[in-house]
Amino acid sequence: MAELQAFATNLGQFTPAMQIISDPDELRNCTVEGLLPRVTVIPETVEQVGQVVALANQQGLTLLTRGGGSRINLGGIPEQFDILLETTRLIRLLEHEAPDLTCHIEAGLTLAALQAQLATKGQRLALDPPDAQQATLGGIVASNASGPKRLRYGTARDMVIGLHVVQASGDIARSGGRVVKNVAGYDLNKLYIGSLGTLGIIVEANFKLQPLPANEHTLILTFSSAADAMQTVIAILGSLLTPSAIELIDPRAANDMTDFFGLNLPTNGYTLAVNFEGSSTAIDRQIDETRLLARKNSALLSDDLTGKAQDQFWDVAREHTQGSVTCKAVVLVSQIATYLQVIEETCRHYELDSAVVAHAGNGILYIELRPSDATPRLVEAIAELRLHAQGARGSLVVERCPIDLKRRIDVWGEPGADFYLMQRLKQQFDPKGTFVKGRFVGGL
Amino acid sequence: MSIAELPSLPVTAPLFQRISATKKVEVVRELSALLGARYVLHTPYDLMLYEYDASIDRSTPDMVVLPATTEEVAEIVKIAARHNVPVVPRGAGTGLSGGAIPVYGGIVITFARMNRILEVDYDNLRAVVQPGLVNLHLSNALNPQGFYYVPDPSSQRSCTIGGNVGENAGGPHTLIYGVTTNHVLGLEIVTPEGNVVQIGGWTCDTPGYDLTGLLIGSEGTLCIVTKIIVRIVHLSESVKTMVAVFDTMDDASNTVSEIIASGVIPAAIEMMDQMILQAVEADTHAGYPMDAAAVLLMEAEGLQEDVAEQVKKIESICFKHQARAVRIAANETERQLFWAGRKNAFGAVGRISPEFYVQDGVVPRTRLPYVLRRVGEICDSYGLRVGNVFHAGDGNLHPLILFDSQIPGEVERVRKAGHEILVVCAEVGGTITGEHGVGIEKQEEMALIFSDVDLRVMQQVREAWNPHQLFNPGKLFPMPGRCADIKQL
Repeated sequence: MAELQAFATNLGQFTPAMQIISDPDELRNCTVEGLLPRVTVIPETVEQVGQVVALANQQGLTLLTRGGGSRINLGGIPEQFDILLETTRLIRLLEHEAPDLTCHIEAGLTLAALQAQLATKGQRLALDPPDAQQATLGGIVASNASGPKRLRYGTARDMVIGLHVVQASGDIARSGGRVVKNVAGYDLNKLYIGSLGTLGIIVEANFKLQPLPANEHTLILTFSSAADAMQTVIAILGSLLTPSAIELIDPRAANDMTDFFGLNLPTNGYTLAVNFEGSSTAIDRQIDETRLLARKNSALLSDDLTGKAQDQFWDVAREHTQGSVTCKAVVLVSQIATYLQVIEETCRHYELDSAVVAHAGNGILYIELRPSDATPRLVEAIAELRLHAQGARGSLVVERCPIDLKRRIDVWGEPGADFYLMQRLKQQFDPKGTFVKGRFVGGL
Repeated sequence: MSIAELPSLPVTAPLFQRISATKKVEVVRELSALLGARYVLHTPYDLMLYEYDASIDRSTPDMVVLPATTEEVAEIVKIAARHNVPVVPRGAGTGLSGGAIPVYGGIVITFARMNRILEVDYDNLRAVVQPGLVNLHLSNALNPQGFYYVPDPSSQRSCTIGGNVGENAGGPHTLIYGVTTNHVLGLEIVTPEGNVVQIGGWTCDTPGYDLTGLLIGSEGTLCIVTKIIVRIVHLSESVKTMVAVFDTMDDASNTVSEIIASGVIPAAIEMMDQMILQAVEADTHAGYPMDAAAVLLMEAEGLQEDVAEQVKKIESICFKHQARAVRIAANETERQLFWAGRKNAFGAVGRISPEFYVQDGVVPRTRLPYVLRRVGEICDSYGLRVGNVFHAGDGNLHPLILFDSQIPGEVERVRKAGHEILVVCAEVGGTITGEHGVGIEKQEEMALIFSDVDLRVMQQVREAWNPHQLFNPGKLFPMPGRCADIKQL
């Protein structure tokens, strides 16, 4: 504890203004996977983040970074850590270069707050993960969070053009820049995206932006089988059509969405929601052509959503990726229908229930498994589902689950043959293990 | 296009010594046993072709090998490691920053025999290719089925996809679709230990660090790529190509800014100034006006409804900024002609100058008018002629500085002017290279945009994976002093 004392004293001297929480009662609100930090710090500036990390590094303390906390439980259980560092006071929009379609932000700004400001100039960041109100941009980038519209716009790796990252030494290093095209040096942006704070703390980011679309329209289609629905998806993807999102919702997920959110989705079949953005003439034509493709593949019903009903639908679909036990499986698009059968059979065998929402055009399935306390059966079912996903050239990550289950599984799955290359990076970037280990792939 | 001199820099101990004649014999023997003698080049006559790329530096390798398989590449690397001989991968040698130049000699691996399309999966929109595949050959193979591969560097008729991965190559159509890194999902690589490792894969979001993203654009300094999994996309329904003619550069640049700011993102916006127009017109006869100050070549792509709307909007913005004329290609032949002018621009400049030097800065699009003026002033001050042909929509400048290395001191003035241009790019918040890479050419300029801390952090990656710089040594980062033996051949 002496190190921690020294840490707190030094920190108080350097930056008296910074909020430091060390009261045990208050710290109880700061647990991560049941672990209590010894101290929580909430810096006001990026320089203060640097000072905190430098001190932690000197004192041999470990540190975990938290943004809005919406994805704080992603990954394995961390080792015991000393300091919880919150980025939630770094909330400035430093620059919105609207004519350049770029912006520069501090990492603690929430996605919703950024979108509201960008919208005043008719622009947006084309990322739509769940929890926009709570999720910070730093957290979104560090956890590589995404949403249905990644089909058209991609993910953080397609939008981040620059980052400022506090290194384990406390130094602040820049990668990339503020222009949309840049190949100077290694593309470290890619390395930090999705690295879950294991290599550094993202404190500022530059993004490429998109103009807000003039119109938006969602077509809801229902099919009696997943195979028909996926045939339609493959036909759309191989056509001229340019949907922004294609979401596949299985009957049980549709049922959940109807029960809890008052959506009126048919619950006796597979729902396909296809979102289009752009000019109204182009949307109208695309909707017509999509209907035609769907009909060829035996679609039963179709419905249209616009305005508030459409927004609500997509909000609910996004939220459905966040249950009590949620697995994110990624497979080839052509394998989704087969994989849905595997999920059915596996769940039947282990007496579990499942509900699936999929970014069908990307091959990403969010599988909710129930009941969440059936730990031994869940362990086996997850192992089986993972094996099948890997067989379809993909992967399975348990994104959310109770801690009891987390203790019994590797949420990421066995690391691959490239893991030693990742270990060497971690060793170079954070030789003293200042950024707490245990959460990322292979315990990094 | 080569500058025949190099500046004298302070000399420190080189990373590698040139290998001795006896050692070379031994390495050649081992390589020949592995590959067969005909796939190991080692005579001065055979090696000469491999001493340069499309940049300004040159250095001769000691050996050039042509492997046919990943396993052979891995064995070559192991032989090189055992003898401590550097290895430099080479695509088609079209690189503009010296990425494929073997600074310390050693082994150049060229991928001419690994040039196949291994697999195409139209349902999942993926293709798997070998690194030596020529960029355009992939799209040519996909076109009959209605698909193509997006990144289209101007050298796409000869450059390889392996080289594109090494440099994270761009091209005119990356404005809306992104560069190489946005279209590659997985790699097979050979590490400096000679391990064959699969990175990323067919599907997205592979758990772990995004090593694919990190390796793309690493300029051969971290690994050797032996297989590439790429995304393919459907050809657009409608493509409209238009040319807008302006009497001042400022009007043309302001048009670019306003198009981007208006929310229209065309597939491409290319700019050519008067000097380039005159060269191109003499060469290609594309119908560009020779007396105009600047021409914008723009392309809208997508559904015909969207394209029609975009074209209308672009047209009105052009006229708002005093465009003298806006011409839309009437048919595919005319469209190809417009593009031929642009894609052959570098070659066309060869008609009016014995040599030229291309820069590759990027600036925020709103700063284009200012930066273009500064480029003109800088070249004037050195008494050099400059032409601009570039990806205006991305703010990616390509000033072509004309020179003649026979004129004493001219090369040095070219280098200085190039450096000053990059200083201006850095000052306005831009970068020193948008798509050509750092290579040898811009090692020193890295310090214009990155601090010591930034550079140290980047070098941690090389330290982690290629600590002895067996792969492509002496590139990418500022050197304490360049080794003397480059160019002493």
